[in-house]
Amino acid sequence: MSGDKLVMMANQIGKFFVPQRGIDPVAAIADHLRKFWDPRMRAAIVAHLEQGGADLDDPVRQAVRRLKEAEARS
Amino acid sequence: MTMRLFVPRDAAARAVGADRVAAALAAEGERTGQVLEIVRTGSRGLFWLEPMVEIETPSGRIGFGPVTPADVPSLFAAGFGASHPLHLGRPEELPFLKRQTRITFARCGIVDPLSLADYCAHGGGRGLERAWSLGPAKIIDEVTKSGLRGRGGAGFPTGIKWKTVADAAADRKYIVCNTDEGDSGTYADRMILEGDPFLLIEGMAIAGLAVGATKGYVYIRSEYPDAVRVMEQAVALARGDGMIGGELRFDIEVRVGAGAYVCGEETSLLESLEGKRGQVRAKPPLPAHKGLFGRPTVINNLISLATVPAILADGAEHYATLGMGRSRGTMPIQLAGNVKYAGLFEAAFGLSLGEIVEDIGGGTRTGRPIRAVQVGGPLGAYFPRALFNTPFDYEAFAARDGLIGHGGVVVFDDTVDMARQARFAFEFCAIESCGKCTPCRLGSRRGVETMDKVIRGERVEANLALIEDLCQTLKFGSLCALGGFTPYPVASAIKHFPEDFNRPRLAAAAD
Amino acid sequence: MSLISETDYGTPLSRAEEQVTLTIDGQTVTVPAGTSIMRAAVDAGISVPKLCATDSLEAFGSCRLCLVEIAGRSGTPASCTTPVAPGLVVSTQTERLKQIRRGVMELYISDHPLDCLTCAANGDCELQDMAGAVGLREVRYGYDGANHLGQEKDESNPYFTFDPSKCIVCSRCVRACEEVQGTFALTIQGRGFGSKVSAGALADNFLSSECVSCGACVQACPTATLSEKSVIEIGTPEHSVVTTCAYCGVGCSFKAEMRGEEVVRMVPYKEGKANRGHSCVKGRFAWGYANHRERILKPMMRESIDQPWREVSWEVAIDRVASEFKRLQEKYGRLSIGGITSSRCTNEETYLVQKLVRGGFGNNNVDTCARVCHSPTGYGLSQTYGTSAGTQDFDSIEHTDVVLVIGANPTDAHPVFGSRLKKRLRQGAHLIVVDPRRTDLVRSPHIEADYHLALRPGTNAAILNALAHVIVTEGLINEAFVRDFCDRDAFEYWMQFVADPKNSPEAVSLVSGVPAEAIRGAARLYATGGNAAIYYGLGVTEHSQGTTSVMAIANLAMVTGNIGRPGVGVNPLRGQNNVQGSCDMGSFPHELTGYRHISDDATRHAFEALWNRPLDREPGLRIPNMFDAAIEGSFKGLYVQGEDILQSDPNTKHVVAALSAMECVVVQDLFLNETANYAHVFLPGSSFLEKDGTFTNAERRINRVRKVMTPRNGMADWEITLAIAKAMGFEMHYDHPAEIMDEIARLTPSFAGVSYDLLDRLGSVQWPCNGAAPEGTPVMHIGGFVRGKGNFMITEYVPTDERTGPRFPLLLTTGRILSQYNVGAQTRRTDNVIWHEEDVLEIHPHDAEQRGVRDGDWIRLDSRAGSTTLKACITERVAPGVVYTTFHHPQTQANVVTTDYSDWATNCPEYKVTAVQVSPSNGPSEWQREYERQADHSRRIAKAAAE
Repeated sequence: MSGDKLVMMANQIGKFFVPQRGIDPVAAIADHLRKFWDPRMRAAIVAHLEQGGADLDDPVRQAVRRLKEAEARS
Repeated sequence: MTMRLFVPRDAAARAVGADRVAAALAAEGERTGQVLEIVRTGSRGLFWLEPMVEIETPSGRIGFGPVTPADVPSLFAAGFGASHPLHLGRPEELPFLKRQTRITFARCGIVDPLSLADYCAHGGGRGLERAWSLGPAKIIDEVTKSGLRGRGGAGFPTGIKWKTVADAAADRKYIVCNTDEGDSGTYADRMILEGDPFLLIEGMAIAGLAVGATKGYVYIRSEYPDAVRVMEQAVALARGDGMIGGELRFDIEVRVGAGAYVCGEETSLLESLEGKRGQVRAKPPLPAHKGLFGRPTVINNLISLATVPAILADGAEHYATLGMGRSRGTMPIQLAGNVKYAGLFEAAFGLSLGEIVEDIGGGTRTGRPIRAVQVGGPLGAYFPRALFNTPFDYEAFAARDGLIGHGGVVVFDDTVDMARQARFAFEFCAIESCGKCTPCRLGSRRGVETMDKVIRGERVEANLALIEDLCQTLKFGSLCALGGFTPYPVASAIKHFPEDFNRPRLAAAAD
Repeated sequence: MSLISETDYGTPLSRAEEQVTLTIDGQTVTVPAGTSIMRAAVDAGISVPKLCATDSLEAFGSCRLCLVEIAGRSGTPASCTTPVAPGLVVSTQTERLKQIRRGVMELYISDHPLDCLTCAANGDCELQDMAGAVGLREVRYGYDGANHLGQEKDESNPYFTFDPSKCIVCSRCVRACEEVQGTFALTIQGRGFGSKVSAGALADNFLSSECVSCGACVQACPTATLSEKSVIEIGTPEHSVVTTCAYCGVGCSFKAEMRGEEVVRMVPYKEGKANRGHSCVKGRFAWGYANHRERILKPMMRESIDQPWREVSWEVAIDRVASEFKRLQEKYGRLSIGGITSSRCTNEETYLVQKLVRGGFGNNNVDTCARVCHSPTGYGLSQTYGTSAGTQDFDSIEHTDVVLVIGANPTDAHPVFGSRLKKRLRQGAHLIVVDPRRTDLVRSPHIEADYHLALRPGTNAAILNALAHVIVTEGLINEAFVRDFCDRDAFEYWMQFVADPKNSPEAVSLVSGVPAEAIRGAARLYATGGNAAIYYGLGVTEHSQGTTSVMAIANLAMVTGNIGRPGVGVNPLRGQNNVQGSCDMGSFPHELTGYRHISDDATRHAFEALWNRPLDREPGLRIPNMFDAAIEGSFKGLYVQGEDILQSDPNTKHVVAALSAMECVVVQDLFLNETANYAHVFLPGSSFLEKDGTFTNAERRINRVRKVMTPRNGMADWEITLAIAKAMGFEMHYDHPAEIMDEIARLTPSFAGVSYDLLDRLGSVQWPCNGAAPEGTPVMHIGGFVRGKGNFMITEYVPTDERTGPRFPLLLTTGRILSQYNVGAQTRRTDNVIWHEEDVLEIHPHDAEQRGVRDGDWIRLDSRAGSTTLKACITERVAPGVVYTTFHHPQTQANVVTTDYSDWATNCPEYKVTAVQVSPSNGPSEWQREYERQADHSRRIAKAAAE
């Protein structure tokens, strides 16, 4: 799937969770991706990260990394 | 020395040339070098003498009338003396005035209606002053004790109405003055509006104080342009003077009707004030509970409100000693129609109808015998000579299937055709019906048609029976007094003048 | 079967708690104080004659038939306008009353045509009934007097006629227009005998007047004066069935009044708890599409979309669907196909489609049109309160003191609720409108908003934060509520956030264009004006910050304690008849019924056990993701039930590309909709009149849909899904939709108590309905939130990436109009087109003048996504810089212009903000012409020879 669009969507999610207080935004972003993105979308964003993760905001980048680790475990 | 003259500005006086007379007086003054002060007053209510000019003298005011502009030079020439043929002497000594008990109309015709100084100099403002010292509960007590009843016609005790509004809890309350004076032969409201408007303002301010209202409306019929003008000026003057508005937290607004008789019915008046079609509301709720804009509202006839200042000023007892039975105080009787002495006659309740029309009114203007008298406006009953002993009293009239209404008395001589008068009652109802309730909307029209059949001599007995049934339907079925009282003139005409309903006639006569 | 006759109590129910006992005709009756004598008599089983009274209207007292006598009182008061009092002794039938009533009837009939036998209302006429009831035997006035006979009929309205010659001037129509509908289109003109009902000004007729054709006047008319044209044409109905309207999310109950299998008319049902006897032009009249000539009744298929359609048998069509889907899954993998459930179909049908996808397709690629409307509501409210639905019932509005309407236009889009809202406003409730447009609510007869915050599209979250800022910084917090019911830490964090000066009205006025003082005033009113309720619509959700704004709304209600009782709450106005239900039924790719995540093992196992199928624990594709995946090549087959995604989804060119990339698109619908132009199999659907089931409206109310006629296409929609499942090898057995609901109840805790028996008994029920709430839950979160403590979320305003600039300086926002419904598939196939035959672009006079555009000119609308053309309507309803259009007509192609920006959490598209440019044009664009050519080509149906 189109990397640009997924990056934009992931960054949008990040913009919501980063200002939240009392939670770990990276975990929340990763959890959101896990719960609402179909596997091929998750695979695509992980692949994008692996290719350097251009344009991913920093907390989102961390969240995608965490998502990748979690997917690898399961 | 300045000569002080009084010329009425009342619409009735103007209609017969008061303005031209005033102009002629001014011109003559200029011509003769006599310095004049012409005060435009209300009317004293002796209309056969209008325009009546008065001059101030050391021994009081001397009247002349009826004056035409042509009479003016001779008045000056006679030095406004007793030698002049129009000399009337002191108006108060004229029998028509002398026999009256003027309480509500005490100042009318005497003062400059737009002079607050004049108003106060003649005893105005004392009622409101005393009201302030009494406070709401005692004001209502006074009004209740005076026995004052609604002068619009229904005769409901004013004090009880006020108490209901005073007791109602609401964020806003209103005082509404019903001056949609539409009854034929009536003019008392107009005379106060044009002749003593501060009296009404004072009465409304007292009412506002009594019930806790902060806003009052004066609803004046559009046919009274002079009255509207004077009242609006009076309200502005009163506001400027601090009599209303400002810290007193009671203000008045003048509103003009749009020509519907039915807007004299209190609930249609409220609808009209709200900017809607003048259509009758069902009661309950009473206006005292849910009136203007859904708020508790005192809606009183002008005469009721204008009588309150005197009651407060001189005490309830003074007022209550006058009158008879449950009709206490005075009533401004308005003589009109075919009557020799047409005018306003304020008197304590209890005069007989015969005294009123024969003695006071002087019989007919045509000189023919009186045949019928309609009392209480177009919806009032026709009284024959046989009932001239009826005392002017709410209950006595009701007992004879009549009503005193707003005090209009219209006299007819022996040329009147009572079948045509019965037809006219239906026609009046048909023209003025708001159209809400079925008996009035359809019944009035059918009444005209059926009466036409009677007049044409078609199946007279059956059609009179139908009229009788229709009257029952109207009387008990109508939503308001317009349809409900239309049977009074009809039934009284049929009952007292049956001979007029069973004559063979030409069909053309119906038209 | 018979005609359902509803008791008319004559006057409305009194809500007083105090009870009053009186005697009527010797019977003792006890009723609430404030009840009319007329209504008390009906309670005692006594019917007093009446014509101007009906229980949907306040007593009027004009006909004078209902007079009674009261012991100890003089006169003959009208029983409709006279309230009961303790100990009254009332007689409804005396000699005097009989005489008066007969006298009144005699007058009525002296001005009425004597054509009962040929009158459309013969047998259904209150005047006729009353003439009988009062024993009228002759009209002594004769019939040659003045009358109103022979007056011209007004047949201008497409659905009903007005015949003044039959009018008895009871004002019921006028009062219904005022009191029930709130439009004030009708009046009585003239006075006395000349009084007559008049629509609008003197030169107007019903069509040219302000009349919105809601039908309330027709409903109220006691004679044939206002009659449905269908009754005039067909005759009076002989039986009726109570069912639920299939238009918007209000979910009005109707009696389908029938003659055999022909619908004669749809009459709003008084017992219907959503509409309480009211209706709008769509539900009341616009049902004729079911018999429209363009309706497709036979299955069709084709190899490719440039071929004409061939009619085939159901077996062939179903086999084709199954074999294609199996082939695609074999070739492209299990995840390469999916389905879309319909918010127009029943709960049972949507449940089956998601069951087919999850159990039959073996994946979770199922979604529904809520994706493009209220998906942010589901997510936003579940995060803050714990439930994906509105908190109140519609009756709640009757207890509201301050109404905050944001991004919703109920008088157009939810008309029956709009009328109930306006009624409350006329009673004195205060109103705040937050909307870029000056909607009718802002100012219409006897309604005026205290505040209209005309914000720039896309700044909802900023405005909501500013409202919260005022409440927090001015000490207007409901401390007790927050302390007792909300999460303390979350509240403290949130308070610090909103108190930040960047959220102050002064700061927000710069981005929103709303004066700071107006924001402050509105916030104070909302926080301190008594019971305050928020109603919102797609103007909140269809934004890149849709979910954020829903959360901000939830925060506002919590901080002021406006949750958990009648009169308050957070109320999403749902767009479609069953959009709430389709969400409840597990239509979202990540959720099973009752909003439980697919990854939750316990929930999933329960379904697996009952369905006897393994389920995928991974979330599936959402609609926009399906399109992206199709274009990218991993999504190849789609089963779309009852939704026209091509016309309704944003960025039409992108949708066209996606559909064109799929190998098997199956469309199930009543008509060859726009999506069908790209379909390979067409399965004819059934209308709401042709099947049993349930719809769930915006207040969580589960209403029954009842079959009144045999499916014209041969199968109800649920039966079609069953057939596909069977052909796919996933057999399901249901003999009746009631059994499907039983399964839903077994698998869904919030539906555990729901059954058709319960619905028949109660009429309807609001979920949750289970052991804890056996008769349902009108108001939620009483005494605590479903999720435990209410959760304040931080709602940082993030401007959308869709920005105006030199190329696209205007902001386009879209919406719905009263007479049309969404993509117009139904309403365009009814006489409703008379009111709105084409979509137009509303533009402010200033913007129009700058561009040399005059009213009615063709204009070209460009965005970075595409261009279309339509006609301009110059109006000050929109602010300078904002333009507005509807999307009811496929020719307009409004969605060619909208972009694929979407809500961060749910991918709900940002329909409400598109940067555009407007310029003069000569006519349809190249794309529109090409599209129309393709559509015409694609809609060809080969002659039956193929069979």
